[in-house]
Amino acid sequence: MAKPTEVRTMSEAGSTYIDAFPAEAKVVRAAFYSSFLALAIGGLFGVVQTLHRTDVYRFMDSADYYTVLTAHGVLLAITFTIFFLVGVFTWAITTSLDRGVEDIRFTWAWYGLMVLGTALVAIPIFAGFTDSIDMSASVLFTFYAPLQAHPLFYLGLVLFVVGTWLAGVDWFRSWLAWKAENPDERIPLPTFMVLTTTLMWYIATLGVAIAILAFLLPWSLGLIDSVNPLLTRTLFWFFGHPVVYFWLMPAYMMWYIMLPKVSGGKLFSDPLARVVFVLFLILSVPTGIHHQYLDPGIAEGFKFIAMTNTMFLLLPSLLTAFTVVASMEHGARQRGGEGYFGWLKALPWRDPVFTGMALAGLMFAAAGFSGMINAGMNINYLVHNTFWVVGHFHLTVGTAVALTFMAVTYWFLPQVTGRALWNRSVALVQVVLWFVGMTFMSNAMHRAGLLGVPRRTAEPQYDGFEFEAAVGSVGELNAQIALGGILLTLSLALFFANVVGTAFNGKSDSLPANGYAETLSGSEDAPLVLDNLKLWTAIAVVLVIFAYTFPILSIVDRGGLFGPDVNPFPVSLDTLPVLGLVLEQYVTTALATAGELTGSIVTEVTP
Amino acid sequence: MNIHTYEKLWLVAAMVLIVGFIATITYGSVGLGITMVGDQQPTIEPSEISDDERFGEPRVEHVGENEYEAYVVAQTFAFSPDPIEVPANSEVTFYVTARDVIHSFSVAGTNINTMVIPGEIAEMTVEFDEPGEYGIVCNEYCGSGHHDMEGMLHVVPEDEFDMTELSVDADDELELGDEAAFNVSVENRMLDDLETTATLEIGDEMLEEELTVAGGDLEETTFTVDTTDLGEGEHDWTVAIDNYEESGTLTVVEELETDDENEDDDGDNGSDGDDDENDDGETDGGEDDE
Amino acid sequence: MRISKGALLVVLAFTVPLIVELRTVLVWVNIDLSVLESAALGLVIVGLVVVWAFLPEREDDRQERDDDQTDGDVPNGN
Ligand code: HEM
Ligand SMILES: [Cu+2]
Ligand SMILES: [Cu+2]
Repeated sequence: MAKPTEVRTMSEAGSTYIDAFPAEAKVVRAAFYSSFLALAIGGLFGVVQTLHRTDVYRFMDSADYYTVLTAHGVLLAITFTIFFLVGVFTWAITTSLDRGVEDIRFTWAWYGLMVLGTALVAIPIFAGFTDSIDMSASVLFTFYAPLQAHPLFYLGLVLFVVGTWLAGVDWFRSWLAWKAENPDERIPLPTFMVLTTTLMWYIATLGVAIAILAFLLPWSLGLIDSVNPLLTRTLFWFFGHPVVYFWLMPAYMMWYIMLPKVSGGKLFSDPLARVVFVLFLILSVPTGIHHQYLDPGIAEGFKFIAMTNTMFLLLPSLLTAFTVVASMEHGARQRGGEGYFGWLKALPWRDPVFTGMALAGLMFAAAGFSGMINAGMNINYLVHNTFWVVGHFHLTVGTAVALTFMAVTYWFLPQVTGRALWNRSVALVQVVLWFVGMTFMSNAMHRAGLLGVPRRTAEPQYDGFEFEAAVGSVGELNAQIALGGILLTLSLALFFANVVGTAFNGKSDSLPANGYAETLSGSEDAPLVLDNLKLWTAIAVVLVIFAYTFPILSIVDRGGLFGPDVNPFPVSLDTLPVLGLVLEQYVTTALATAGELTGSIVTEVTP
Repeated sequence: MNIHTYEKLWLVAAMVLIVGFIATITYGSVGLGITMVGDQQPTIEPSEISDDERFGEPRVEHVGENEYEAYVVAQTFAFSPDPIEVPANSEVTFYVTARDVIHSFSVAGTNINTMVIPGEIAEMTVEFDEPGEYGIVCNEYCGSGHHDMEGMLHVVPEDEFDMTELSVDADDELELGDEAAFNVSVENRMLDDLETTATLEIGDEMLEEELTVAGGDLEETTFTVDTTDLGEGEHDWTVAIDNYEESGTLTVVEELETDDENEDDDGDNGSDGDDDENDDGETDGGEDDE
Repeated sequence: MRISKGALLVVLAFTVPLIVELRTVLVWVNIDLSVLESAALGLVIVGLVVVWAFLPEREDDRQERDDDQTDGDVPNGN
């Protein structure tokens, strides 16, 4: 039986990730930089949206709003999160198995494919800003048919997803090779997390792959005349719900294996961490229909099954909350903390890595409450598609995930660059500022949603009526949203100052060693069956079949495989673009396309 | 696998919470008999909406005591009918479908909210206890004018609500000595009979007639006035039943000119704005009543 | 100082949602605050927290707190 401590001794103390795995560190760094570039552009668009919607400052045509929103959604929800994920997962695999990737060219290949996919998606989106290019994809990141995007958009998505599939192959290859050499050892926890998440991703992406390859792409190319909007929408959410766990799993991984470490303690329980990830593998996919509670054409019974699964999906998150808090407390007591709550004072609040993750976790708890409202299929009617939902997911993906990523970046950057972090105090202010900004923005979004203010709407100010606030006024809510958006943007600016500052810092020899938290109750306590990935995958597949076969058959039976006769609805603008905007979009297009590639270039320049 | 006692407690509490949620919601929906948007309705070809019995002419229908059905069509970027008018203290079933892309039909600040998918019909039953005015928004992105897509829902006090339609067919110009005929037709789209009095006011004369319009039926009646009694000149008239009015002007001349030049037609001066759609043109252009 | 500067920053951050929603909560007990009033109240609360944080430490509290010097990357404390 492997003692968990062995994991840490494998790479010698004092050696950073880049010392141990110089080639891999480059890929991880490239993935991080690509992710940050998406964050920068997407974040900028975020504040543009906040100011436009609230009518604080409008400088573009409202029709362009939806192009901005498409870019914001795709760049942040897909590009930022997933590039960061592949970086972290590659780090986790190599570190916890203590072996490099099997073939670094393969690793670069999937990274390149993801970059190419992103660029292909970005081109038609940004072309939507101008009429001079006959291309557009203002379909938002959910691309519901009959809204139709340019074929490049769909093609790019496919390439991007294939890139992630190959990344998964890479990680599995590493594990299989390691297993051949260590037949009797338990799967190290980080690797276990990567593998279960990857399996979940394989199952989940089948939905979107079918939606695009069988329907949307041929349809946008004119090969088929029509699609069934309810079918493609259902296939989207087959993927769309589990994708939120794809964002969340790397954050969870960080809470399990990094947060205890930076708190100065150990992970409370390795077996329960495994249980949590297995539950996510099993339950993530058969829940997607909870995004369709309000869809006509899907029987109530199917929605009910999705709801039940969703509620059980609370379990792993509640378990995580326990483990994370317990591990933090353990850390605090190691540091001399005492008393029922007194230990809180002993936590390393000055450390941005810790504070950022702790705040992210806290906001995730808040998001849990609004999530339970969303999940209840009757209460959902009150909030579905309102601004409430936007408030909710800026707490989940926009904070629990994004803030955790930014916080651990302060630990990862030195590991993958070999340079010390530029400024820790700025980093601390940055994470706290995100928390404050998000408090304003998300709180007001939730409340506006309760009044019925719709999401995804350029001008939620109507001619015939006004939204009525019980306390305060819509104007105050708007002011809070705009203020929050501005604080968040400032926070982003500080974040990038640190990323860039670190990249230009000199090399440092006194960096902390690569590693992750030990466990109080180690893998030797975990029943062997937990590591039986085949079993869990089989169960997951069976559950998916249960949850989806009948709804999909019924949808196809009702509306036909290719749906009713509706005309495609290319989403382009019929407004005259302002000159300034045209210029702006050329710049941003150039930035986005060229920029996506800089990730790899940057790695070439930095030794 | 050794699980810490606290962790076991937490696990149990979490399970209780989850099962509790599911139970409450199950009770809240099944127990209380609230139906949700589901697959109750058949599909519909979006291209055939215009010929559809229900959606060809989007409207509200009275289908039972205090029960109404509203057939609503959403398309870029409007709802029809708009406004939707229903009485308080009623149960209204909305049927909503889309002509082009996915929309929503969402009454702001309430839980009346559904996706509207082309090819599918959303069904939703709502009870309206109190009168009120609500905004309807489309909260599903549907294209570049999505933010302009809005409508209104008027829940009017029960005693002010009816589905009566009044139209009057009358002459504009007559020769002195002719008989002026005012053909009044009253449609009652409610199920109950409508007992009402139709009145015609012209000059100093006031005519009245009791009318009973059966539910879902149309009644016609004619008022006749001798122009000799009116005398030469312009005579404003008004036909009224309940809250509805139609008015116009009758010109009585000595001798009718052969090439009848038309009177000026300035827009009609609102019959309470309540029910203007059925102006038949024949009654156009009243002068301003002084 | 009663708590470290980092902890103070976090405590201040936590007061933000409380202050923002205080107004709503007060409405339930029929106290209507204007935006300005609740902002002022917020400042007072923040001021009190800061003053408290800078009070000199009590005797028994004076043990060494290591979070001022270490960062999270120290070897685990065991
Ligand atoms: C500077 C920070 C940010 C600001 C000011 C911001 C603002 C906004 C606003 C106002 C919307 C709503 C637009 C609408 O419904 O009309 C929105 C949507 C969205 N945001 Fe953000 N956001 C920020 C950061 C993030 C981050 C970090 C993420 C994810 C990692 C994110 C993910 C999303 C997603 C997925 C949507 C939905 C897009 C859609 O409805 O198609 N945002 N954001
Ligand atoms: Cu979901
Ligand atoms: Cu819309």
